[in-house]
Amino acid sequence: MAEPRILTYREAVLEALFEEMRANADVVVIGEDVAAAGGVFKQTEGLFAEFGANRVIDTPISEPGAFGMAVGAAMSGLRPVFEVMFGDFMTLVMDQLVNQAAKVRYMSNGTAKVPLVLRTTMGLGANLGPQHSQSFHAWAAHVPGLKIAIPSTPADAKGLWKAAIRDDDPVLIFEDRLLYTMKGDIPAGDHVLPLGQARIVREGRDVTLIAIGRMVEFAQAAAKLLADEGIEVEIIDPRTLVPFDTKTVIDSVKRTHRALVIDGAPRAYGVTGEIAATIAEEAFDWLDAPVGRLAGSNTPVPFSRSLEKLARPDAKTIAQHVRAVLG
Amino acid sequence: MTTALPEDRLWHLFEMMLLMRRFEESVVKMNVENHFTGHYHLYIGQEATGAAAIAQLEARDTITATHRNHGHVIARGAEPGPALAEIMGRAGGLSLGRGGTIHLSDPALGFLSTSGVVGGSISLGAGGAFARKMKKDGSVHMACFGDSALEEGVAYEALNISSLWKLPIVLLCENNSADAWDKSRGGYTSLVHAANDLRSIPGAMGIPSIRIDGTEVDEVHAAVAEAIAHCRSGKGPMFIEAMTRRWAGSAPLWPELSTGVTDLKMATGEAPMSGEHKAWYEENDPVLKLARRLLKTSPQAKDRMWELDRKAIARMQAAEKFAIDSPMPAPQTALEHVFA
Amino acid sequence: MAKSKKPAAKSKIPAPKPRKPQPGTRQDSAAFLAIYRQMALIRAFEEAVRSLATSGLVPGLVHLCSGQEATNVGVISALEPRDIIASHHRGHGHCLARGAEPNLLLAEILGKAAGYGGGRSGSMHVIDLEHGNLGTNGIVGGGIPLACGAALTARARNSGAVSVCFFGDGALNQGLLHECMNMAAIWKLAVVFVCENNGYGEFTAIDDVTAGDSIPARGEVFGIPSKTIDGMDVLAVRKAALAAVTKARKGGGPSFLICNTWRYGGHHVGDKQDYKDDAEAKAWRAKDPLPRFAAWLAKHHGIGARKLSNIDQTVAAQVASAVDAARRAPEPDSSALDRHVYG
Repeated sequence: MAEPRILTYREAVLEALFEEMRANADVVVIGEDVAAAGGVFKQTEGLFAEFGANRVIDTPISEPGAFGMAVGAAMSGLRPVFEVMFGDFMTLVMDQLVNQAAKVRYMSNGTAKVPLVLRTTMGLGANLGPQHSQSFHAWAAHVPGLKIAIPSTPADAKGLWKAAIRDDDPVLIFEDRLLYTMKGDIPAGDHVLPLGQARIVREGRDVTLIAIGRMVEFAQAAAKLLADEGIEVEIIDPRTLVPFDTKTVIDSVKRTHRALVIDGAPRAYGVTGEIAATIAEEAFDWLDAPVGRLAGSNTPVPFSRSLEKLARPDAKTIAQHVRAVLG
Repeated sequence: MTTALPEDRLWHLFEMMLLMRRFEESVVKMNVENHFTGHYHLYIGQEATGAAAIAQLEARDTITATHRNHGHVIARGAEPGPALAEIMGRAGGLSLGRGGTIHLSDPALGFLSTSGVVGGSISLGAGGAFARKMKKDGSVHMACFGDSALEEGVAYEALNISSLWKLPIVLLCENNSADAWDKSRGGYTSLVHAANDLRSIPGAMGIPSIRIDGTEVDEVHAAVAEAIAHCRSGKGPMFIEAMTRRWAGSAPLWPELSTGVTDLKMATGEAPMSGEHKAWYEENDPVLKLARRLLKTSPQAKDRMWELDRKAIARMQAAEKFAIDSPMPAPQTALEHVFA
Repeated sequence: MAKSKKPAAKSKIPAPKPRKPQPGTRQDSAAFLAIYRQMALIRAFEEAVRSLATSGLVPGLVHLCSGQEATNVGVISALEPRDIIASHHRGHGHCLARGAEPNLLLAEILGKAAGYGGGRSGSMHVIDLEHGNLGTNGIVGGGIPLACGAALTARARNSGAVSVCFFGDGALNQGLLHECMNMAAIWKLAVVFVCENNGYGEFTAIDDVTAGDSIPARGEVFGIPSKTIDGMDVLAVRKAALAAVTKARKGGGPSFLICNTWRYGGHHVGDKQDYKDDAEAKAWRAKDPLPRFAAWLAKHHGIGARKLSNIDQTVAAQVASAVDAARRAPEPDSSALDRHVYG
């Protein structure tokens, strides 16, 4: 077996794309600036040179029409990977995503399918202002028929991407732009991670932290701060919101008896509420304290650096909330 | 043939264009000096369009713009200090640091909004024009947008409705895609449209249109005057396609002042126009073009030109100081202005 | 805007001119009889659905295409089995012309387990991939990008398949249509855009919502050949469709056909149509595609009334049996609720 290699998150995703596109001629990439330009974040670099204009397709700035085409292409046999440049522009494809892609399998009684990947960004922190910084994973997770993956490391990115491309349902992959330069080990071989398997990032006895996307990195930093105080946190990364690995989360909470759920998007009606409610329903008798929630502010994402950093959790606020959950 | 504008009008526009240019140069400087981070878009090369178009609007008229909006906001009369402070995310900014470069606006001046989403200016603009129509006071709306906005379906929907309801909207399409770096040169996608003449799009909706050279103030002035008169008289929308060359500095993802800080000596003949951007200085830089023209008007023109430049530079120095001295927004204000 | 308050706004569809039959065609009578049979089946099917709906037996709203048979069959008769269509909310005719089983289609319309969607999708979401049908669609313009996407698949696989998207005049003002026309033109996709212009989007006349004085101009903007056709004349539609499909299959890119037609039953069953002008409706009724085509068959192929009436009776029996089967068919059981949400 080859030694694990170190790649950046961006490179890991690209490797998954190269491997899957080489393995299956039905995989095509569609989006704005994805071809010769190689993506606004260089996230599709090199694909055009190898696979050409028939499989790496630049679209006009016509998100609804272009995404609808990806759905039609998926229904008729291709496996499109569609890129929505910024998560905020999900709003432009919502009709085709919600009213077409998510429902085709159900409406056709299982005779038709939409095997596509919608790739987009999430997360703030790059001073891009209110229309280029939003995270819509909770919004999408509310729609039956869509699967949601949020990789937080290069290895997970590669594995989840390969699974998503091979999946026969629409899978949305949300990537925090600021993770693109993160480096990590990539397992050798055909690294495919089944959708619906959480990862225990760190083991600990005192409290379970369930963290989404880049919040995993912050939770790890918080864990170091807290370890100095003698607090040992367990961190779980669900990796996919749909399907959701309830068992891994509940088993952990039954061991630690306390939980804090962390997400970077606005708190109201978001992911933290859903996960906290699930814990309350399934592990109520094991809990020693109410389930804690920590999420982004219920505001648009402000542009100014001083305000933007207040709009989502960080290691410090996570540590504070852990202490509160521990009483 | 367009009638040449009177000299005093030209001087007035030149003064504004210089300020717009010096403003953008300050933006780059502030970014290079790390007073703010993040991406931004510059209006360099399009000053003649924005200045000559917006100068003709009245106080009661309204405007929406696109992500490349700094020039429009300055042309509408926003103070450079608060505008720059907004781009730098400061509490003294036009939107208290919440919007930033992509969302520069000044509602007090009838500058309703700038959309960070391509095409948004047209649909928001149709709404602005609808409000103007309902006011029945002859006021108009001007929507400024780029050529790529016409790739978005929402543009068609808004054009259709504007035409149907005879909304008083001046549709100012700033087509800066000529000479845009194409993808094979590592640039970003320029216009991707099957229409070989963008005017056919409003044309299909029954909207009259004019194409002009967006670096010539007289042409812009005349076309916009016609469009505003058309709108004010209740005849519905008019579409103007102002053609400009893509400024070389906006070719890479991160803008660079590749043509340098504008040196008016290139207009007086005291500095050579050479190097990679020679043709741009000679033919496409609207500020230098107008400067050359004004210099021919009288022996005193040169002094007047330098005087205006000193004034613009001084204003920008004060604006930079204002913006740098302006504090970051206070944390306790973080939750303000989500709702009324 | 004030326009919409106009009573009985006139549609901009010109009254169709009587079309001179083209003698000397080499096609045999059987092919023409098949076209007649399909139109008759659609008419009989829709009238049966109308009667079921009027009796309260159809859940929800149902949109019928009686009157539009010539556009449905004219276009679809120009297609091969490998080709793909995407339809709209008034799409029973497209499904049937493409080969859907009347029994299964009606079962779906009645929400029965045997239907194409297992009773979960209804009239507006009938997907029949076996017959190259990406589905009827509940979103105005929703099928347009789907058909263009299938054309991307055809291009990627070099399959030679052509896609057709049907949409109504209401979709002319959806931005989606313009985006898709632009991309289809840039990429020279094998797509035929077919606007079934029945003069009204829901309850609003086309003139009240559509700016400009030319619908073909909406396609010509993108360099797409665009043509207006008498949509009550099945042969005219078929001829134009054959030309467009052949061009697309040869790599010549998209075409845009505007078929002027009329929906007899209004927007949905129960629509009183008091927004329409009676004289206009009467004029359109006089152009009914079925008797018109029957007259042509008699004149050019010597096909008598008896032969056509036999066809009418056969399809009537087929529809009656579908009605009987669908009415007796069971509702989906509760286990069907969460089946096929994911694969």
